[in-house]
Amino acid sequence: MTYFTKTYDEAFINENSVRTNYKKFISWYKNQDINELTKINSDAMKFFENTGVSFKVYSSDKKENLIPFDIIPRIINSKEWDKLVRGITQRVLAINFFLTDIYGQQEIIKHGVIPVDLIQNNAAFLKQMIGFTPPNKTYNHISGIDLIKTNSDNFYVLEDNVRVPSGASYMIENRDTMIKLFPELISRYKVSENRNYTKYLSEILKKSSPKKTKINPNIVLLTPGIYNSAFFEHAFLADKLGVELVEGKDLRVINKYLNMKTIDGWKRVDVIYRRIDDIFLDPLSFKEDSFLGVPGLMEVYRSKNVTIANAPGTGISDDKSIYSYIPDIIKFYLGQKPILKNVKTFKCRIKDELKYVLENLNKLVVKEVHGSGGYGMLVGPLASKTEISKFKNKIKKNPYSYIAQPTLSLSTCPIYTKKGLTPRHVDLRCFALLAQEKVTVTSGGLTRVALKKGSLVVNSSQGGGTKDTWILSS
Amino acid sequence: MLGSTADSLFWMFRYIERVENTLCMIESGFQLYLLSSSNLNNEWDAILRTNSIRHHFLKKNNSLDSLNIINFMLKDPKNSNNILILIEKARENARRSRVSITSEVWEAINTCWLYLNEELNKKINESKIQTIIKNTREKIALIFGFLERSMLKNEIINFCYLGTFIERFDNTVRILNTRYYLLLDEKKIRFEGYDNFQLEMILRSISSYRSFMWKNQNEIKANKVSYFLISDKDMPKSLMFCVNETIKNLRSIHKKNFLKNKSYLNAINIQKKIKQKNRNFNNYSFLNSLFKLNMTLATNIEEEFNFR
Repeated sequence: MTYFTKTYDEAFINENSVRTNYKKFISWYKNQDINELTKINSDAMKFFENTGVSFKVYSSDKKENLIPFDIIPRIINSKEWDKLVRGITQRVLAINFFLTDIYGQQEIIKHGVIPVDLIQNNAAFLKQMIGFTPPNKTYNHISGIDLIKTNSDNFYVLEDNVRVPSGASYMIENRDTMIKLFPELISRYKVSENRNYTKYLSEILKKSSPKKTKINPNIVLLTPGIYNSAFFEHAFLADKLGVELVEGKDLRVINKYLNMKTIDGWKRVDVIYRRIDDIFLDPLSFKEDSFLGVPGLMEVYRSKNVTIANAPGTGISDDKSIYSYIPDIIKFYLGQKPILKNVKTFKCRIKDELKYVLENLNKLVVKEVHGSGGYGMLVGPLASKTEISKFKNKIKKNPYSYIAQPTLSLSTCPIYTKKGLTPRHVDLRCFALLAQEKVTVTSGGLTRVALKKGSLVVNSSQGGGTKDTWILSS
Repeated sequence: MLGSTADSLFWMFRYIERVENTLCMIESGFQLYLLSSSNLNNEWDAILRTNSIRHHFLKKNNSLDSLNIINFMLKDPKNSNNILILIEKARENARRSRVSITSEVWEAINTCWLYLNEELNKKINESKIQTIIKNTREKIALIFGFLERSMLKNEIINFCYLGTFIERFDNTVRILNTRYYLLLDEKKIRFEGYDNFQLEMILRSISSYRSFMWKNQNEIKANKVSYFLISDKDMPKSLMFCVNETIKNLRSIHKKNFLKNKSYLNAINIQKKIKQKNRNFNNYSFLNSLFKLNMTLATNIEEEFNFR
């Protein structure tokens, strides 16, 4: 076996020496029949195909794609994990305080921590939310925090996704698949459970109900419909939560309350776990021609007759331009030092930083402030000269829309190939739930892996795959 | 339960049932083709008319070529009721109501869809037609098996069955409607030169030939065939059986209030009509009125349960 990587590898120190987390696994692996594993590897995809676990890439109409699944687990020990949990909890709490403030008194601006134009000129900042406190004072009920590892000690936060983060269903399905494929393996390790995610999700949604009694609130999951790329996840979660999966057309505002159309008539809705973006929520308040939302929903919301999770306007906090201020936000609201590091970020809106970015494009990763899914991004070291000069013009035209980060040496993990294990770059999305100032981080997460050799882009829309993520219990 | 979910369940099973029924007809035609039967053209003609696609087919084809017809019914995009489209629609509705059906039922539909897409998107080889039909029917049986074994017996399953039996009624009444002349009285049939063979084909087109023969001491007679298809309450494809099941399921959804509901009353009316016509069902207008009543019943159900 030749196993070589320039960057930090989570499993191997070198070809002959295995890191502690992986020792047991690798010795198991070495006893496996390679032909058998190859068969199991292809069985895994069959599982996903038959169960209909699929996702769609926008614009490739109708076709459903399977996210490639790699059978080698990503292993994290309990000490590393404890730190991640503390760090994520801190960020999630700080972000909720930030949102409460930014739509309220705006102390953080008054204290000069965040420049006012960053908020005011931001499309994700919703004027409709100013001066309004959401039910239970919670904005970011559900977060997906993206992390990367660069060496043995450090995880960096790459993004705090609080709009409609997806991936939790794949986290759970990946574990289910591993259990089906290698029943003896998981029981041998003490791997923390992750399927309690849906139990916690159910609890926080119940707690977030605006009803005074909070006994059996009617919760629904709002999806854009079966053609949405994440529809599988919407159905999966609604099923596990035991709630109705609704589309905008199932809902209507009647007498200041939100109702859903049932076979026996209208029934009141108390909580919406929405999986559509802010601008589609209510054609009367946002995008006029949207059919995905419900006319008048915002008025019901502002009367506190329904909870929307996550709250409209939450997106301002995961904006890539706000990202670089998160350490300051943590300090400002919690008076604490950030536990998890941010990746160094150059803001093109600031003259000196713009100058540095333009001069060092070949070394940097440039991201559009409002982009997501790995679109609208330049990976300097891998880009051609023409690509770089094209991008240079785009940045110059609109510097406010871009930030840049040094190319990080993302850690690698082994993936399975017919020729044996081979290293590929990975990241990690962790899922955090917030209710009544209490954060629950599900043990595990979704490890995304760039399947192309050398590639740093892990997004499923661009050839990324996933792995089961094991948190070893102590 | 959401009205739109009831809609998806109802239509998912209408489409699944339609796939099954269409395959049975293709199979009966294909059998005649293999036997090089002299009745082949008549039979295809009847099958195309039953499915209301004769006109479409003849727009592009000059003759009733068996393999062209089979291809048309299985996958030709010009036929909006082809098997590929039907299974696609069934699965789409299953996806919409994914939360209401068990994963067993979902996976059975999904694998059936995967199978048909894989097989029908290849060039269809004559030697494979029977295998494809057999395998698909087995996969459909699996859907119904899991429906029966894995689902709660509540209103969710009631809507699945409503779709199934409304569609099946529609199919049987269409077959009868297309071939009502065969079911006129014996003497006339002999006079017009028809024979038992065509009656046999009716039974084969709904794969009920063996059960008919078993029930009727191997004797085919027009009045017995029509009784079997219309009034026999034990025969799972008969109009009586279908409407009885529809009534049962409507009653179960409505619980106490069924007597007030239009759809329930209409179903009872259909049942009554079939009972009354017991001896005298051999005319076209009777069958046609049943066909229309069933369509109205479907609309009643859609309206009453807020499908849209």
